[in-house]
Amino acid sequence: MTNPGGKDGGASRPEAMIELKDLTKRFPGQKQNAIDGLTLEIPTGEIVIFVGPSGSGKTTTLRMINRLIEPTSGRIILEGDDVTSVNPDKLRRRMGYVIQQVGLFPHLTIAENIATVPKLLRWKRDRINTRVEELLDMVGMEPATYAKRYPKELSGGQRQRVGVARAMAADPPVILMDEPFSAIDPITRGRLQNEFLQLQTQIRKTIVFVTHDIDEAIKMGDRIAILDDRSHIAQFDTPETILSAPANAFVEDFIGSGASLKRLNLTRVTDVPLVDWPTANVSADRESIRERLLRSDKGSVLLLDDEHRPVRWVNAGDLDRSDEPLLETGLSATPAIEQQATLFDSLNEMLNSLQGAAAVVDQEGAYKGVIDIETIGAAIRTMRGEARQRYRGEEEQQTGGLESREEPES
Amino acid sequence: MRDFFDYLWQRRDHLFDLAVAHAKIVLTAIAIAIVISILVGVLVYRRPRIAAFVLAVQGASLTIPSLALFGLLIPIAGLGYRPVLIALVIYALLPITRNTVTGLRGVDPAVLESAEGMGMGRLRRLLRIELPLAWPVILTGIRVSTVMILGIAAIGAYVDGPGLGRDIFDGLARIGSPTAVDLVVGGTLGVIVLALLSDVFYFLLGRLTTSKGIR
Repeated sequence: MTNPGGKDGGASRPEAMIELKDLTKRFPGQKQNAIDGLTLEIPTGEIVIFVGPSGSGKTTTLRMINRLIEPTSGRIILEGDDVTSVNPDKLRRRMGYVIQQVGLFPHLTIAENIATVPKLLRWKRDRINTRVEELLDMVGMEPATYAKRYPKELSGGQRQRVGVARAMAADPPVILMDEPFSAIDPITRGRLQNEFLQLQTQIRKTIVFVTHDIDEAIKMGDRIAILDDRSHIAQFDTPETILSAPANAFVEDFIGSGASLKRLNLTRVTDVPLVDWPTANVSADRESIRERLLRSDKGSVLLLDDEHRPVRWVNAGDLDRSDEPLLETGLSATPAIEQQATLFDSLNEMLNSLQGAAAVVDQEGAYKGVIDIETIGAAIRTMRGEARQRYRGEEEQQTGGLESREEPES
Repeated sequence: MRDFFDYLWQRRDHLFDLAVAHAKIVLTAIAIAIVISILVGVLVYRRPRIAAFVLAVQGASLTIPSLALFGLLIPIAGLGYRPVLIALVIYALLPITRNTVTGLRGVDPAVLESAEGMGMGRLRRLLRIELPLAWPVILTGIRVSTVMILGIAAIGAYVDGPGLGRDIFDGLARIGSPTAVDLVVGGTLGVIVLALLSDVFYFLLGRLTTSKGIR
């Protein structure tokens, strides 16, 4: 029952970094097990999300992996070693740990905070210093500016970045994250999620990530374990499969309405072809802009500043209104979409900007291309086709899958 | 008034000696009380019932009038330096223990969870995280204790203890004679000066020993 969502377990799967075998936790004085016989394999190099309603035991399960909570019974296997009864402090130094409130040490500088585990492991000072700088760079914080600061001098988003850097300090194979972005405002949260995914493409850690937010789970997870009461696994599968083939009524309920809209979170701007759009420098004269507009089949021209950053969309009507400066006509092209953003973010931006298209920029903010409604439409059609194929493949394997799945509804 | 300053000037060496003796016994008592209180505080702060009991006992001992306590200690510790030191330690315990418990309990649980989750052992967490974070609160307790026992130490002269209390009691014993008031006021003034100096000292110590991150 590890994997009710289908797919054969075993040889085809990547090797498991962490195996949880029949983990059970009963807190003293309670009649029922808080975690009841959880068995799960967490594949190497993947982001596995534990998601579930409050009280489903997802945080308890996470805290059993680094044994902040000791299991009542069951085994924890890390990289093939049974770590259920090794020294917990030594075990924890092999696993990064990030929590929602971050928990930076307020009396230590950012550099000292990040150096915590390397110091516990008795690294040489030079090695620690080099590593701290490298990590600050990695999470996008200038070492010269931030290394000597204290946590109270940082914003919430910056603190969480430092929290992530601190967890990665000794290069542990595993990072455990307990709702790391939940306490951060939505805009910063989106940015941190994107940055973290970008980072993960380089570091390829095995990450166990707890959240109560299904949208975050879909966005961040290579695999999602949807946990029901007492950490019973309702479904453990890729986000695509969970969205297109929820295993039971509980999962369907938990995903909620708008599953197809949520699927837009699964595709990133980098995964779709960008549209070529007519562009012009903001200081170009109106005639040359008009000419460019006429030569293309689009309804507007995207103005770029000297650093190649998108500024405004202008159409023929805007160009005619010669009494107003060009920069005050048309529609704003900011904020532009980053390449790591999802199609969901892009659609949202298009709807906000009324333009029906959004400018895509690279990390420096320079223009890369445009994503428009047609691109998103095409992506939806592809996804639907893929999901249908996967779904049909499964149906052949387990005949009657469709009927049994729909039963609870009728 | 002029006469009083003449008096202070004439007796400056004597007063200075008394003040040094006064400061010495207070600092010794504070040092002993710090060690005991922080140890006790660390042992009890996670055990609310025992903590409440310990603080109640220490609180009760603080209500014993100092003169009575000195008297009670005579059969055990005799006269002079020893009974005064013992009494001063007893009086200094409560503020430091109480602030140690308060300070340690005030440490953000998220900070402790992340420390534990990164593989810091119990002792390391205590020494590297909890005590440094509780330190400003503990230091406040030490400051309160110091000022309090600076005053109580003066009464120690009643059982032949050292310090500025000697002049005060000498003066009180010869009330009516010309030098009586000078003696009492001189001794009292000395205690006040010591209290002010200790405040300055603790302020500077706090600056030097508290991380910029928690100021």
